[in-house]
Amino acid sequence: MSDEEEVSEEYNNFEEEEEADTARELVVPGEILTDDIKNFIPGRGTIYSTDKKKIVSLHIGLKQISKNYINVIPLRGLYVPQPGDKVIGIIVDKNPVKYKLDINSNDFGQLKPKNTIKKGKPMGRRMGRPNYRDNRQSRDDFSTDKFNIGDILIVKVLSADRLNKPELTTIGKYLGKKHSGIVITIDPPKIPRVIGRDGSMIKMLKKLTNTRIFVTQNGRIYLEGEDLVHERLLIDAIRKIEREAHTVGLTDRMQAYIENEKVKRDIK
Amino acid sequence: MMDVKRVISSIERKFITNNLRKEERIDGRGLWDYREFSIKTDTIASAEGSADVLLGETRIITGLKYDIGVPFPDLPNEGVCTVMAELLPLASPLFERGPPDEQSIELARVVDRGIRHADCVQTKKLCIKENKAVYILFIDMYVMNYSGNMIDCGSVSALATLISAHLPEGTWTENGPEWTGKYLTGEMIVNELPLSITYGKIDDIIFLDPSLPEELVCDGSITISCTEQKITSIQKSGIATFSFDDVKMLSKKSMEISKDLRKKFDLWQYKTTYE
Amino acid sequence: MTLLIKDEYPEKLFREDGKRLDGRDKTELRPIKMEVGMLKNADGSAYIEWGNNKIFAAVFGPREVHPHHLAKPDKGILRVFYRMATYSVFDRKRPAPGRREKEISMIIADCIKPVLFLELYPGSSFELFIEVIDADGGTRCASTTIAALALADAGIPMRSLITSVAVGKIDGELVTDLSGIEDKAGEADLPTAITWFNEELSLLQFDGDMTLKELETLMTYAKDALTKIYEMQFNTLKQKYIDIQEGINQKTNENEKGGDN
Repeated sequence: MSDEEEVSEEYNNFEEEEEADTARELVVPGEILTDDIKNFIPGRGTIYSTDKKKIVSLHIGLKQISKNYINVIPLRGLYVPQPGDKVIGIIVDKNPVKYKLDINSNDFGQLKPKNTIKKGKPMGRRMGRPNYRDNRQSRDDFSTDKFNIGDILIVKVLSADRLNKPELTTIGKYLGKKHSGIVITIDPPKIPRVIGRDGSMIKMLKKLTNTRIFVTQNGRIYLEGEDLVHERLLIDAIRKIEREAHTVGLTDRMQAYIENEKVKRDIK
Repeated sequence: MMDVKRVISSIERKFITNNLRKEERIDGRGLWDYREFSIKTDTIASAEGSADVLLGETRIITGLKYDIGVPFPDLPNEGVCTVMAELLPLASPLFERGPPDEQSIELARVVDRGIRHADCVQTKKLCIKENKAVYILFIDMYVMNYSGNMIDCGSVSALATLISAHLPEGTWTENGPEWTGKYLTGEMIVNELPLSITYGKIDDIIFLDPSLPEELVCDGSITISCTEQKITSIQKSGIATFSFDDVKMLSKKSMEISKDLRKKFDLWQYKTTYE
Repeated sequence: MTLLIKDEYPEKLFREDGKRLDGRDKTELRPIKMEVGMLKNADGSAYIEWGNNKIFAAVFGPREVHPHHLAKPDKGILRVFYRMATYSVFDRKRPAPGRREKEISMIIADCIKPVLFLELYPGSSFELFIEVIDADGGTRCASTTIAALALADAGIPMRSLITSVAVGKIDGELVTDLSGIEDKAGEADLPTAITWFNEELSLLQFDGDMTLKELETLMTYAKDALTKIYEMQFNTLKQKYIDIQEGINQKTNENEKGGDN
């Protein structure tokens, strides 16, 4: 699979990034977005005012109108787990029956051993009976010996609701423990900016800094480059994207920034 | 750079260590470079001296208050100087609420010893009447943001606070201690300028001024406080061990580094002058 | 023993020219400067200089509740910890929190809860830490004002901001925003706070004596002052992002003017 296809497949679950042509309006909690309640209804990050005659913002964020919904895209905020999300977690605790992961949310995530072992197919027939050797339950299925506190795992959210802690799994493509590289965390709402429209930003970052980058929903980004100088440049670039996420023309500006910095820092 | 809330990850540990082996640090510094210091003094109107110091992103705001009390019986004509530190929950999710814990007590004590044994404060000048009335100085350090190496930041903060001091001058009368209308300034009470220099150690690599991720990965650290002429206190903490040669090398380095810092800071510029 | 300089109150709180001791008119606010996001380890933070007051606020949350038994199954909890540094007052304060600090913590928490959606966060907690570094009258009002900013900075959904100010009476005259001396030596002190989503008072205390007529006037003074301060909060929240955009515009203009280098 080519690099391009890989990026598209990895990120087709992510929110579509709409890069506006002009700067969107910055609003604060309680700010009136419109009093035209006949034509608009509250969308994400907004609510009717107490007198029901206006729509107001719930966050500091950017005002956005989509069909007849008025939305506010918050600039900051903790990650809210959704089933199907790919996230990066760090194991902060474990007991004999499960791992506890910090996934940059208000709740810790849970990883049970059965969700860390990939079950194999039967190995063929032997003496007239199918050999389900791989499917035999081994000790690993029940113990938490595979991973340790401090391990970085890329996991998928299986379920998340108000009553139960998010359930996670390491079974799947691109998932599992990372043995090297770095993880940095940015404000989760800014992740779409790091990806860019159709993956334009992230493809540019990968190419110009020659690093492997994996962006996840909970604001965490895994990266591994050929050496520290490239990795540091990429981290500086991502922090700049985070800081300027609310502005326009970001992708072009980031390209210019990285090219200039490569010259300044004497990197190829 | 790194995002550390609670537990440092195994790959971060590997990342930091591998790069240190190449004498590279994650923020681009050399092994013996400090992060940037920033010093502002006399910012607190209610205090009799204060300093707001940044070392990298570590920030400590220190204030000086005084009381008049009875001296210790074995030091009848000397004032008393006490140092306290609070690691505010504001400063890091790693800090819990509540009374000072081991970490804050260690910070206070190391900074205190660096000052005390350097004869930094001329405690004899803090005496109003022998056996009856001396100044008790309270140097209270509040950590506002934690990003590694609170000790070096704290020691500069405490020293700058003392230099910026403006205590009301007291004299002994039949009614007890009374204000002369004039002030005792830092220029009058500060004698020496001790600075603390802290090094971290990971495996067998030693480096100056650990940043937060480095400090959390460190096996241990060593702090050496000195004045222009002398070494006044040493504190080793953590499970790391240091060779005899290392200690000699670091002591020599500390004298040099603190000399350079003193020149760079020009600490006397922070003294208060009163007409 | 006592301190050398006594904490004495001046006889008159107005000057010969009719102004207050710090030069202000009766309804004039002290200079206020606010900032957000300077404490990077917190989820949200804010700082204020209001007259001589210097106060930091930081919020953590939503996160797990410690100790666990305080968690509520049907909604999140908000805890406020208002503390003063030992050197923030004239007579050094003992480091441990006192009764006044605990009372103010509770009052600020009650004031803030109406704007939050705690029912969206069952089993979680929000912790708001306020540290007064330098105090000079009206600290609970300044603290409440930046508490709102810190919560907004953290991205926590809020029905609206909250603004707070104290009004009162000194030397028989009704005034807005009492300084430390005016608070101690005056006859009445009325801290207020408004939650803008319903334009109602969420913090209200009173100490002293006043007539019914005076109360009505003070309510008007409070509303005026709150409106002015609200605009400052509004601008502070936006300023951080506007500055970044302007920095970029400036660079672009410079590049265009300078031609290709």
